[in-house]
Amino acid sequence: MTEQKKPQEEKTLSRRDFLGLTGAMLGAATLTSVIGVKQSAAKEDTPEGEGHRWGMLIDINLCIGCKYCTYACQAVNNLDDDMIYNVVTLETTDNGDEYFLSRNCMHCEEAPCVHVCPVGATYHRPDGIVTMDYDLCIGCRYCQVACPYDARVFNWKAHTGTSPRVPTFGYPEVEHRPRGVMEKCTFCQHRIDAGLERGLTPGVDPSATPACVVACPTGARVFGDLNDPESPISKAREEHKNVIRLREDLGTEPKVFYVPPQDKKEG
Amino acid sequence: MQDSIYVPKLRIGSRRFNVFPLWIALLISGLIFGGFGGYEVLRYGLQVTGLNNHVTWGLWIIVDLSSIALGGSAFVFGVMVYLLKLKRFENIGRLAVLLGFLGYSTAGLVLLFDLGQPLRFWHPVVFWQHHSLLWEITMCVVLYLNVLIAELIPIVLEHPVFADHPLMEKYPILRTVSEFLMKFAHWLHKLGPFWAIAGLTLSILHQASLGATYGMLVGRGIPFDPTTPVLFILSAMAGGTALLFGLGILVFRVMRPGLVEDDVLYAVAKLAGSLLLLWVYIRMWDWAVVNYYSFNYTVAEQTSLLDKIAPFSASFWYGQILLGVVVGFILLYANKIKSWKFLAVVGLLPAILIVILRWDYNFSGLVASVSYDPFTPIIWLNSYTPTWQEWAVATGVISYWLMGFSLAARYLPFHATAEHEH
Repeated sequence: MTEQKKPQEEKTLSRRDFLGLTGAMLGAATLTSVIGVKQSAAKEDTPEGEGHRWGMLIDINLCIGCKYCTYACQAVNNLDDDMIYNVVTLETTDNGDEYFLSRNCMHCEEAPCVHVCPVGATYHRPDGIVTMDYDLCIGCRYCQVACPYDARVFNWKAHTGTSPRVPTFGYPEVEHRPRGVMEKCTFCQHRIDAGLERGLTPGVDPSATPACVVACPTGARVFGDLNDPESPISKAREEHKNVIRLREDLGTEPKVFYVPPQDKKEG
Repeated sequence: MQDSIYVPKLRIGSRRFNVFPLWIALLISGLIFGGFGGYEVLRYGLQVTGLNNHVTWGLWIIVDLSSIALGGSAFVFGVMVYLLKLKRFENIGRLAVLLGFLGYSTAGLVLLFDLGQPLRFWHPVVFWQHHSLLWEITMCVVLYLNVLIAELIPIVLEHPVFADHPLMEKYPILRTVSEFLMKFAHWLHKLGPFWAIAGLTLSILHQASLGATYGMLVGRGIPFDPTTPVLFILSAMAGGTALLFGLGILVFRVMRPGLVEDDVLYAVAKLAGSLLLLWVYIRMWDWAVVNYYSFNYTVAEQTSLLDKIAPFSASFWYGQILLGVVVGFILLYANKIKSWKFLAVVGLLPAILIVILRWDYNFSGLVASVSYDPFTPIIWLNSYTPTWQEWAVATGVISYWLMGFSLAARYLPFHATAEHEH
């Protein structure tokens, strides 16, 4: 009797059980989705030697201060004139010689902005790029306060139009970000991702390389995979004996390298 | 049990005026002004503020940090009443809970305007990033606000209107609701020790982290300072307790005479004074380590530039150290001073110190910003002037704080009921 009853009991699902089960499944689904978002936001940087690790080298001796990098970046990222990811400033050396310092996000290994973001909206991709999830950002601007390179830009107003740098310096390749979120240089991650899918090499093939690198008329900017000894950036770092990074004293480990002006004199 | 609440009147010549309605009208106009500013901010975004990509935290952050610090007495007195069982502080502890609630809700309110995406204010609660100090602060503040609400509910429900009202005779359902509310309040009150432990833990965590928010800014010069967590906790405890003393004189000595004995008020003053002097001691060591026993080019340059555009060093020596020492000693020996009016004013002064400390930490690194030039590093001077919208929102939230305090001071009984005393 008991054995005969068992299958019947298993088949029967009361309304109460059904509602309970549905509730549990909904709860589990919600939890999983939340955890899923958390995991994607907390992706760790790829360690040196594994996979891609994108970096940039800027030869200060070759920079003429034309700001093409600024304008190309604004066109591709569809930025108004008041928002600049790539800043070019006139600086002086210890000797008083003037030079142009061209600067975008340093994509630090120990990025202060990633450490301080309260919601994980700024995070490291597996390839080391420090990027943004614009849907998560609450606009608290702590990343801007923490960044020692003034690389973060806030979206103070709604941008709906087209960048004034279009079409002279390129065409918009990414969608508008909403008002009130922090923005940043992403090393043109959309170009890198699309390029890799098509079998192109970022740093070599222009359509897979950041717009600022492609636009530079003097070739002052070199981009590539720091883990690949054959990449343009690895070769350029080997070629230049003296390569520096900005504010190395802070231990942020930037992935943007500079050939200082002295190098030119020595060479 | 205290039955009547005396409302102080303004005396001009031989006539006496009840200024309470005028005061409330003034606060309502402040709230309306805040409403206009708040509408502009929410409608047009932060472009209507004077904030920019260099000075990205401004007036509102100071209001936020200061109001949280001024609510610091809530956890101090929660511990004293429920964990150390110092029952004589129970009545004044109720005022501390109110000040805590007002401080934290004010902070939450002003932050809503300060966020670029106000509708995403809940994100830190769901999308955890536990490396971030700001995440930890948000979680602590959200949880602690709930603790304060749990502590405040029994105090509000003590008002006679919730226990007995003519309408209850007419509508018996109201009597049932009232009985339920009384049981709920009693249950919340019974959990007092739990709220005290939660409040202490959460408060120390986030008050310290608010300091560390600036203290860990490695590239900002002056704010990069490992002492900031201690300075922020102690200043909140000292300033919050001093404010409790100053306002306690008004609420208890003037409006509810006899409910809190003078000795209890003196003890609160002594505690505030001691904490303030301890704060000055640590602040002096902090100054000595940064400016006397070592030399940091960035800090020296920032200080010199800030001194040119603002009384930066003066705000440290006069607004923090001198004020701390003088007020600290007056509060420590408050029982030797006969004038309660004088003591009430002195009790409010550490609020200035709290604001200056936070103002200096916030603006020193943002206004005098350190350059990343690799060869000839310089300090840039950035500027920031709050717009009327920022002043309006600040006025609005401060009016909210004052309104909450004024209504509570006027209407809440603030005494432990017979049921709670047992």
